[in-house]
Amino acid sequence: MDLVELRRHDYALDEISQEVLVAFGDFFRDQCPSSLVRESQPVGFSQELWDRLVEMGTTTMGLPESVGGDGAGMVELALVAEEFGRAVAPVPYIEHVVTSRALARANNPALADVIAAAANGSRILALASAPVMPGTKQLIPAGAIARDVLAMVGDALVLYSADTPPAHVPNQGSTPLAWWDLFSLPNRTVVATGEEALAIYTRAHDERMVLTASALVGLTEYALGLTVEFTKTRETMGVLISTLQGVAFPLTDIATNIAGARNIARKAAWFLDFDPETRPELPAIALVYAAQTATQGTQQAAHLQGGLGFTVENDISLYFLRSKGWGSLAGDPTAHLAAIGKHVLSSVN
Amino acid sequence: MDFGFVELSAQDRALQQEIREFLAELFTPDVFALEHETGSGFNAKVYEALGARGWLYPSLPVEQGGAGFTALQNRIMELELDRQDARVMMMKGTSSLPMAAIRKYMPAEIADPILKECAAGRAVVCLGYSEPDGGSDIANAKVRAVQDGEMWAINGSKMWTTGAHISTYTFLITRTDPEAPKHKGITMFLVPLHSEGVTIQAIRTFSGERTNIVFYEDVQVHDSMRIGGVNNGWTVLHGPLDEEHSIGIDSNGGLTDVSVGVSFSRVLGASINEVAQWALKTASADGKSMAEDTRVLERLGSAMVDYEAGMCTPGPMGRVKSSDGLVKQAAQLQDLVGPVGLLPMNAEGGIGVGDIEYAHRFAQGTATYGGTVEVFRTIIAQHVLGLPKAQLPGAKVFMAGKKK
Ligand SMILES: Cc1cc2nc3c(=O)[nH]c(=O)nc-3n(C[C@H](O)[C@H](O)[C@H](O)COP(=O)(O)OP(=O)(O)OC[C@H]3O[C@@H](n4cnc5c(N)ncnc54)[C@H](O)[C@@H]3O)c2cc1C
Repeated sequence: MDLVELRRHDYALDEISQEVLVAFGDFFRDQCPSSLVRESQPVGFSQELWDRLVEMGTTTMGLPESVGGDGAGMVELALVAEEFGRAVAPVPYIEHVVTSRALARANNPALADVIAAAANGSRILALASAPVMPGTKQLIPAGAIARDVLAMVGDALVLYSADTPPAHVPNQGSTPLAWWDLFSLPNRTVVATGEEALAIYTRAHDERMVLTASALVGLTEYALGLTVEFTKTRETMGVLISTLQGVAFPLTDIATNIAGARNIARKAAWFLDFDPETRPELPAIALVYAAQTATQGTQQAAHLQGGLGFTVENDISLYFLRSKGWGSLAGDPTAHLAAIGKHVLSSVN
Repeated sequence: MDFGFVELSAQDRALQQEIREFLAELFTPDVFALEHETGSGFNAKVYEALGARGWLYPSLPVEQGGAGFTALQNRIMELELDRQDARVMMMKGTSSLPMAAIRKYMPAEIADPILKECAAGRAVVCLGYSEPDGGSDIANAKVRAVQDGEMWAINGSKMWTTGAHISTYTFLITRTDPEAPKHKGITMFLVPLHSEGVTIQAIRTFSGERTNIVFYEDVQVHDSMRIGGVNNGWTVLHGPLDEEHSIGIDSNGGLTDVSVGVSFSRVLGASINEVAQWALKTASADGKSMAEDTRVLERLGSAMVDYEAGMCTPGPMGRVKSSDGLVKQAAQLQDLVGPVGLLPMNAEGGIGVGDIEYAHRFAQGTATYGGTVEVFRTIIAQHVLGLPKAQLPGAKVFMAGKKK
């Protein structure tokens, strides 16, 4: 790789992006207090919050104008994801947005109805992580509330539909996971085949990684804030614990990781929007780094509140449990490392 | 937000080409060989050749010995220099910090000729901050300056004065009021290093970088070489120090790196490239290419994640991230490559140009100089997280009783 490229490193948000950030920050703060997150357990879905999110235009903003969307890019969607993560909101924002964008990208008239239903939020879409195999069930993120799942089968990209989603499976992150036996579902629509299918699926997968990374950034930052406040009032041996380096330094490391993870995720979003060919490994880097940041960050944030950080009653528990519960939905970070490594090898040739 | 290639005008493109060709000719093998041998972070031939064109500090106006470069042209220059070798240019970076203070605080008739010499590549300024007793507590300086009429007498010693042996001046922190609280009894001087009473001894580090201990024995310095007011040294120091800690630097439309640790991360980047090339042409025990070994792929991937994190983490946090990432990954890449990763540049059977062997040694210093990673974590705790300051017993002490 070229270490001295003459590229810009400009992370400044334009006015529209700043407005998106503020609007969604306000929205989730007002509409999604931690009490709602708790009430929505164990499924991890609030129909009421979903309806409000749809009213905000969240399900149309990322769709192209040709299907009635607002044509927003990944940068803006990533900003929304940060705020969504900060609230650990019980709505399938990431799954739904990346899947509906994938369907719109296929430009297939047979999908018009599903896309319209996805745009108005009445039908929730999900994306399978693995290809469809006979006799193998898959745990589908958002699968307990979605009626349609997009998956690769052979070299085709297929949308599998059900009248009602399968039963929810309780899980560590309180997300709407469910087992789908995609292979035996009769109701299916071929979205695309061959190279086009792979391109659309890969892109959707990349978008999911970037949005998950952004969500994990917001999630970890909120958890850090809870603990920073705690350490500013908690005392030991006559001093505030925040004045002890054994407490303060791990907190600075979390802040450092968050700042970097945020920039990488936003940069990866920018590259998907404007220059998707040059840095194809960036979405995976964004995800791996954000997942590390979230795993270590929420663990430390919980731990630095002592025993109280280990209790269900403390909101930090919601964040700790979702750091893995959300992070691992987009795939094992170590598997992504190998893919990044492959790209490194191809870039030195 | 913008991460695109910078569009160059025909004029800037021509300048880029001219710079590239000029540097390719200037950085001859003997420049690298000399740097490898001395570890001085300096080369007189290179500095003077750049200086002669106004290209050493090219964003300075032409009258001040620069070339009046725009921010973009300056960026082109920086990247082209990095393409050659960042090591040789170290003292340029070091000098630029005190040069700003000289310009700001010294009267023009004193400052201008000095700055011109610097711009011409004939004068270099090193940093005389740290002392043998400890460098982190920078305001605790004990080197004493006592005024007698127009002259000051300086006594004491400074440790880690990198480049002192090739520098014209040192930007020296001195204690001028031992009775005052420690931040209020400091005065800055620009001390000519050829002065009588200055003794410089080499300290070798295991990265190959040379630094020095400098003894000051009754060194006479004229009052005109004082920078800023008497006992006002802390204020003078703060400009360069904040810059070193990268506080409040703006990104210049994306032409400035967001992380101060970028130069550390580039060393990691070079190691990643070297290991990737090695993997592509090396077979493992079972005859398969290393490039297909998942162990290789995962380590390269992991190193790449930390490289990217080092490049993208902003401000003082970027310094910590780049250093931590380099320290961790240089060791892991060396493990991956095995014993050949221990062979230095030009060794028989070594890989590439010995970048990973160097990286593992170089990495360790990055955690210390310019303020240790612990000092930076303290800064982040206060300035980013707003955590209260620890009340350390020496934080506000008076210097009385600690006189030499
Ligand atoms: C190669 C090299 C080049 C250098 N070049 C220069 C130069 O050109 N000019 C110059 O003036 N100096 C230079 N330095 C000195 C450098 O800035 C100091 O080494 C550094 O500031 C640390 O000071 P110290 O080595 O005395 O360690 P100390 O300050 O004694 O620290 C020892 C250890 O304690 C830790 N520590 C100290 N205080 C705290 C604290 N408050 N909280 C937590 N941990 C703490 C430190 O992080 C460190 O790990 C150079 C050093 C090296 C190695």
